[in-house]
Amino acid sequence: MKLAYEAEDEAFRAELITFLDQNTPTEVGTRDFGSDGSDGEDIVPEWSRKWQAQLFDAGWMVPAFPPELGGRNCTPVQTLIYLEEIARRGVPRSLHFPGYAIVSPSLLEYGTDEQKKLVPAAVRGDTIWCIGMSEPNAGSDLAGLRTRAEVHDDAFVVNGQKVWTSYAQVAQKCCLYVRTNPDVPKHKGISLLIVDMDTPGIEIRPLRHITGAAEFAEVFFDDVIVPRENLVGDLNDGWRLTQGSLAHERAGLWVEGVARLEQSILALVDLAKRLGADRDPVVRREIAAAYENAASLRALGYKGFASFAQGSSAPEHSYMKMATSEASQAVFELGTKIQGSYGAVVDSERGEENGRWIRGFFTSFAGTIAGGTSQIQRNIIAQRILGLPRS
Amino acid sequence: MDFSLTEDQVLLRDTARGLLVNECPTTMLRDHITDPSAADRLTAHLGEFVGLGGGDLTDLAIFVEELGYVAAPGPFFANTALFAPLLAALGSPLLDDVLEGTTTGTVALAGTDGSWRVNGETRKTFVPEADRVEWIAVVDEGPTVRLTQGLPTRLIERVDTTRRLFDVDTTGEKGETFEINPDALAGAIERATVALSAEMVGTARRMFDMTLQYAKERIQFDVPIGSFQAMQHKLADMSLAIERATSAVQYAAMTLTEDDVDRHRATHVAKAAAGAAVTRAAKDGIQIHGGIGYTWEHDLHLFMRRAYGSETWMGTTGYHHDRLADLLIA
Repeated sequence: MKLAYEAEDEAFRAELITFLDQNTPTEVGTRDFGSDGSDGEDIVPEWSRKWQAQLFDAGWMVPAFPPELGGRNCTPVQTLIYLEEIARRGVPRSLHFPGYAIVSPSLLEYGTDEQKKLVPAAVRGDTIWCIGMSEPNAGSDLAGLRTRAEVHDDAFVVNGQKVWTSYAQVAQKCCLYVRTNPDVPKHKGISLLIVDMDTPGIEIRPLRHITGAAEFAEVFFDDVIVPRENLVGDLNDGWRLTQGSLAHERAGLWVEGVARLEQSILALVDLAKRLGADRDPVVRREIAAAYENAASLRALGYKGFASFAQGSSAPEHSYMKMATSEASQAVFELGTKIQGSYGAVVDSERGEENGRWIRGFFTSFAGTIAGGTSQIQRNIIAQRILGLPRS
Repeated sequence: MDFSLTEDQVLLRDTARGLLVNECPTTMLRDHITDPSAADRLTAHLGEFVGLGGGDLTDLAIFVEELGYVAAPGPFFANTALFAPLLAALGSPLLDDVLEGTTTGTVALAGTDGSWRVNGETRKTFVPEADRVEWIAVVDEGPTVRLTQGLPTRLIERVDTTRRLFDVDTTGEKGETFEINPDALAGAIERATVALSAEMVGTARRMFDMTLQYAKERIQFDVPIGSFQAMQHKLADMSLAIERATSAVQYAAMTLTEDDVDRHRATHVAKAAAGAAVTRAAKDGIQIHGGIGYTWEHDLHLFMRRAYGSETWMGTTGYHHDRLADLLIA
């Protein structure tokens, strides 16, 4: 047990900091970096495309990858340091995560040689990817998806609908989960296809969510023809592939959530001071409780990482997404409560920080719902970690 | 940042578990309610480990977590986690005797309001095991420490029968008084607070283990009650609270061991997180056990008693949140 890092890891950090100090785009850190699509702007603006390519070329995009995939073969501890430093600065690597974070690792592990050739452009951001998973009737019960792909000798014919598909309106390619066998238990009849988004028969409709933003879309497939060689992995073996994400980064992905939570708590202290609520004993106690939550979650993340780095399984990580998203929601709600009657104001002249707290509260439900709701997470903890029987 | 245990630490933990499973059964905790001497045999066994009081807090925390798991009674905690670090902060030669096991002591700090802060009152409260140690170190304004023997004590009856806390009347000229560096005193108090937090994590873990086991075995409506989602979500939340507290305590112990700048905040976080974990484990534990958990015969209440005894000692969760707020909101 010790707090300090090894000298070579500190050298890694120093090199990273130098790179970030010299190269971080000026758009980062301004309030409006990255449009949310609510006003028709490009949700992947030009500066962010350049930045992602620059990170890739310098070996700082996914540092654990080899240089030809935008990395530098770094160790797990160094990946943690990397994630810590970019989170601390609020520097996004990319404004579209599916390509580098989910598609690339899946293709590297399960793809054909031809499919693996798609990876560098996905990581560099030259190709934007979306992932077709959720459907109107397949949310928490993802394996119940119904989008059908009829299997022919040289092609699949796809019909159905996806929803909550992030970046669909700007993506060139989609990793699409389809049902290829309806006559077997639901997990066993799913396949994964690579689909070009300009294929005839695909219709994309932007989907506004509760904040008014529109980075999601609904995607409709009407007799869409997908070449046979675009099947990833084996036919009907797609469910296994849904688990794919950056395994070597998964152990550190909590860092960003915790860093954002900590930054929100610092901003909450400033807000309380500005409004004169910092002497209110109830407010003080609630801020302290939020800090306690964040600090203990950071420690839990590190503890899980220590197990991971030693090659053990790290059940700690199952708690992190659920706990940080719920903690974050509570902090934003507290930010609105501190403002009293002005808590719901988003008028930039009358409200605090252009409605940051109430907007953040609304947005926080993405964290407690997307990627497995907090309730599904509790089921997973109970059944997979605690060993309780399925109901 | 490395949270993994060393080989020596794993050995220490396993040794403690092996000893305590035999020497601190719940039958002894029950005997101890009316006869404190029931813990004497355990105390004799623990004599081998008093040296931990002079070592790294990271090691002591691992050991006392196991004591918390069995709700161990006796003066070991007061002696090694409170008295020893205070003597070390004082630079007192008496420390060597404590670490060699030739003498024992406890600390009197809180005044009549029970708050875990230096005060000038002559009546001190919530002094652990004051009637079965040789020395009572009385902390007063200045700050000063008076090393005394033979002060009058009175047991304060609490729900927790596994840890005995006393009123101590410190009037009179007994003992020798020493000035103490305020930062060194604060450091000793922080060390004791984090050690108590570690102990509380152990108590929380015990109640959780009992409850999880019960949820898997208890059949109602023809199925284990642990298959019900309402039970599963309660147990998931209990385990999260315990995992958070475990990590927060370990981090705090590391910051104190390494004199890190974050140690003051980390101490308050540790006690608050441990308080949240141990009270949640007690409340949800008894609720999930249902009727059997409400009986005297079942052992759960012994740990529930310890839980609330510890939550209200050395500063409640609310107290530590307030101190944390003082550090965060200048």
